[in-house]
Amino acid sequence: MNASVSPKALEQAAEWLVRLQDGASSADRAACEAWRNSDPQHALAWERAERLLDKFGALPPQLAMPVLNRSPAATRRAAVTRIVALMLMAPAGWASWRYAQSQPWAGDIHTAVGEHRTVTLADGTTVTLNTASAIDVRFSATERLIVLRNGEILMRSGYAADVRPLRVATGEGTMQPLGTVFNVRRHDCSTGLAVLEGAVRVTPADAPGDARVIDAGSQTRFNQRHVAPVRDADPAMTAWTTGMLLADQMRLDELATELSRYRNGLVRVDPAVAGLRVSGAFPVADSERTLDMLVSTYPVDAVQRLRGYWITLIPRD
Amino acid sequence: MTAAATHPHFTALYSDHHSWLHRWLSAKLGNASDAADLAQDTFTRILGRADLAGLHEPRAFLTTVAKGVLVNWYQRQALERAYLEALAALPEPVAMSPEERLLILETLHEIDAMLDILPPKVKQAFLMAQLDGMAYADIAAQLGMSLITIKRYMKQAFLQCLIMMENPQ
Repeated sequence: MNASVSPKALEQAAEWLVRLQDGASSADRAACEAWRNSDPQHALAWERAERLLDKFGALPPQLAMPVLNRSPAATRRAAVTRIVALMLMAPAGWASWRYAQSQPWAGDIHTAVGEHRTVTLADGTTVTLNTASAIDVRFSATERLIVLRNGEILMRSGYAADVRPLRVATGEGTMQPLGTVFNVRRHDCSTGLAVLEGAVRVTPADAPGDARVIDAGSQTRFNQRHVAPVRDADPAMTAWTTGMLLADQMRLDELATELSRYRNGLVRVDPAVAGLRVSGAFPVADSERTLDMLVSTYPVDAVQRLRGYWITLIPRD
Repeated sequence: MTAAATHPHFTALYSDHHSWLHRWLSAKLGNASDAADLAQDTFTRILGRADLAGLHEPRAFLTTVAKGVLVNWYQRQALERAYLEALAALPEPVAMSPEERLLILETLHEIDAMLDILPPKVKQAFLMAQLDGMAYADIAAQLGMSLITIKRYMKQAFLQCLIMMENPQ
């Protein structure tokens, strides 16, 4: 344990971090790698550097900045004022921050960032999990309950003559399929539901009297108190099961938000291009290719910092 | 291998001084249960020390250690309060599980401790780069400093963090 790392190696690692962070070329990266490989002490020091970057990468800036940058003698009032000032300064791209991505602890069955996977449950129901998703499966003598803790799933309910009701629950409510195929996605404080076949009964957690039946070809969103008006289902909604995102005149900042779901790290969009409309079939699970496609088709450049941890889409000069 | 077997002086110190230390901390905090935790922390902090036998002024010594524990505790409270305020000030509620909230809080504590001894300017510049992802040149412009100075600050802060990083288990 506690292998000590020489101060010299740590100092050099700090220098490399500065060099890589401030606009590194591929030659810089290669030189850094050579340095790392040239001495076990260097490798140890760099391993610390990577863990440090991971720690910063896991912190949502809106939360971390006011907390870490508080002045030591800050009064409560001063702290609040500063937080408000920081919120006003926050660039639009911050909206694309997502945290849940790299946290695999939740759920009996889960997928890593960028992964998607199909599982067949004991009753023949199949569940396809999208990137960074987690479900709990709770089958008992009286019900078949699936809890969607994070992310997005596509469900095909089993046709086996199982009399126990099948239900899918999120923090916002429950969905009871009536022999169907449907897609469920958790948003920050709502659940999105699209029904492809059959029908699904939605019951908001705090308003059981407002249950609604959503028919095939329809989609809606609901929170704990109510179900939004039903719209026609977006046919592109389940493209994720093939690893694609179909964008039809989608805002660039929305695309960045989608892209963020499939990769570790941050994708930010300069406000100058946030409203740019983009179309295409993007292989979102392959963020490098998606970025190449964006850069070659639209007047934007992708600036990568720290081995791709941070990507910022900016207008091309 | 118990602490008592290894450190008889520690046991004596604990039984002679625990109750007044607990009272002293309760008076400072106005709350007996936090005081019990902090009294425990105070003794834990001196547990491994070999020089307990020679203490001439055990009360003064314990008070000094307990003050350090208190300062840390206040810092932790201040950080947690700032965190709760930051959560409340988010433009729209973010769905986070209790685990996520706690893990972020723990990471914040860890980084806060790493950055604690840095001069405020260095810390500010460093956070602008690491949290906001700002380019060094933009930070230099915004803080009215040279790019060379900003790079020096970054190296200082990175090095400070790397020194304080714990090794994996």
